[in-house]
Amino acid sequence: MKFSRFSLVLILFLILPQISFAQSNYVLPYPSFMPGNKFYKISLIWDEIKKYWYFGDFGQFKYNLSQSDKHLVEARTLFDYKQYLLALSALEKSDMYFGRVFKVLVSAKSNNKNVFEKEILLKEASQKHFEELKKIRGNVPEVFEWRPEKESPTILNLWEIMDDSIEIRQKIL
Amino acid sequence: MMAVSVLVLTLVLFSIFTYSFVDVNVPYLENLYTGYYSAHRILLTSLYVILISVLFGCFYFSTKNVDKLKNNLKKIVIFVILLAIIAYPAALTFDIFNYMTTAKVLFLHQENPYIIYPIEFIDDSYLEFTRATNKTALYGPFWIMLSGIPHLAGLGNFILTLFSFKVFIALFYIGTIYMIGKIDKNAVIFFALNPLVIVETLVSGHNDIVMIFFAIVSFYLFFKKRYGLSALAFIGSILIKFATLFLIPVFIAMAKDNIIGKKIDKEKAFVYSAGFMFLIFLLSPLREELYPWYAVWFVVFTSFLYKNKFLQNLVLVFSFGLMLRYVPYMATGTYFGFTPIVRNLLMIAPLVLFLIFSWLKIVFPRLLKLLR
Repeated sequence: MKFSRFSLVLILFLILPQISFAQSNYVLPYPSFMPGNKFYKISLIWDEIKKYWYFGDFGQFKYNLSQSDKHLVEARTLFDYKQYLLALSALEKSDMYFGRVFKVLVSAKSNNKNVFEKEILLKEASQKHFEELKKIRGNVPEVFEWRPEKESPTILNLWEIMDDSIEIRQKIL
Repeated sequence: MMAVSVLVLTLVLFSIFTYSFVDVNVPYLENLYTGYYSAHRILLTSLYVILISVLFGCFYFSTKNVDKLKNNLKKIVIFVILLAIIAYPAALTFDIFNYMTTAKVLFLHQENPYIIYPIEFIDDSYLEFTRATNKTALYGPFWIMLSGIPHLAGLGNFILTLFSFKVFIALFYIGTIYMIGKIDKNAVIFFALNPLVIVETLVSGHNDIVMIFFAIVSFYLFFKKRYGLSALAFIGSILIKFATLFLIPVFIAMAKDNIIGKKIDKEKAFVYSAGFMFLIFLLSPLREELYPWYAVWFVVFTSFLYKNKFLQNLVLVFSFGLMLRYVPYMATGTYFGFTPIVRNLLMIAPLVLFLIFSWLKIVFPRLLKLLR
């Protein structure tokens, strides 16, 4: 009996680490300039200019997805440094761009463009965003009171906001 | 005029010859596909060498009697254009398909061709025969805007669009000849009837002629002291294919001469222009490879240097060598193996022979007279 129990534990021990859940191969970019950096505002202006360069349905698809990725990475880095207010602002931007990606695909479809590959890419991106957001959610408190100097504190419902962000991605999956 | 007649006749044969290269992947031309190229590579390559040799030979001999040629130049040019324009443009290169596909990305799909690859339009039938569909636009923005004209003229029909592009390119060939004539009438023939220029511009439809047209317009306007328009034309030229950036030092030197009140030495300007364009031509393998049609960049400026017969003959022989670069791929159907080496050897061989011959002419003039 002892031996069989031991064997079972041993087998589980050997197998369990190898069991992994499906992970997205989608690669997020390196963090760009962060808030506080003197080039941060310039990078935001540059991003705004780029919006016009990336015209067309597919162009807008690329632009919005890359912006969503960029701001998600920015949010992740800011959450790591417990800069929750800035992180939530970045996450909000990421959500906004992500929502636009889907709208652009609908527009491309209505313009008779084959969006099959783009849909796959968007699903992979959604999966990756979902994984990242889940990880971040696991590392932040449910509620946080943000106390800036000389200003009244703000209550940040981190989990609630993150759940909304996750939901936006889950709609695509 | 005998040589010109043979040149025109050879061009007729060359235009017919190009149709043996119709790609099986071009569904719009399936009635013209014979499969002859894949079955008779060596025969077709031999034919190509003969046709090209005859074209260059005829051109060389026809320029011996320039006066007669000058009187009939307009008629000859019209004949040449009509004959070359009907040729199949993708016999030697596939660039014309790339122009069409890029224009389609912008004007039909309304996407930015500098960020969206043609391959992203997975249903597009042009993908079957267009090369470099995994690359964004390779040319300058002015070319892409201009390509909207033949694209729209094609009314969405492949064959109409293909030939609209050819006609469009031919218009710039006419324009270039006209502008060369405005600068110096004696320079026209060397450019207009050069077989490399005819094949690469009128048969294959390369857009280098558009860049050259604006560069020549820019020179003309500069000589006429209309500097603002000259600068505009020069920028237009650069925004077609960027290579004319190398002419900036020439324009700076001319502007300097102008400021200090010195008369502009046109010949000197064209010597340097030919030199700089030859330099960028030699540097082109750093980006991709030495394509024969890039020779148009310096051939045009060499045409103004007709006083230097040796230089013009040297350029002509080199043009012939460049046209032989197509031979190894045509014969083997592969870009690998010996193809790159043989290609370079074939390009250089006529040049080396010409230089040896010229040297012998100087060292042993009597011996050569006897041989003749």
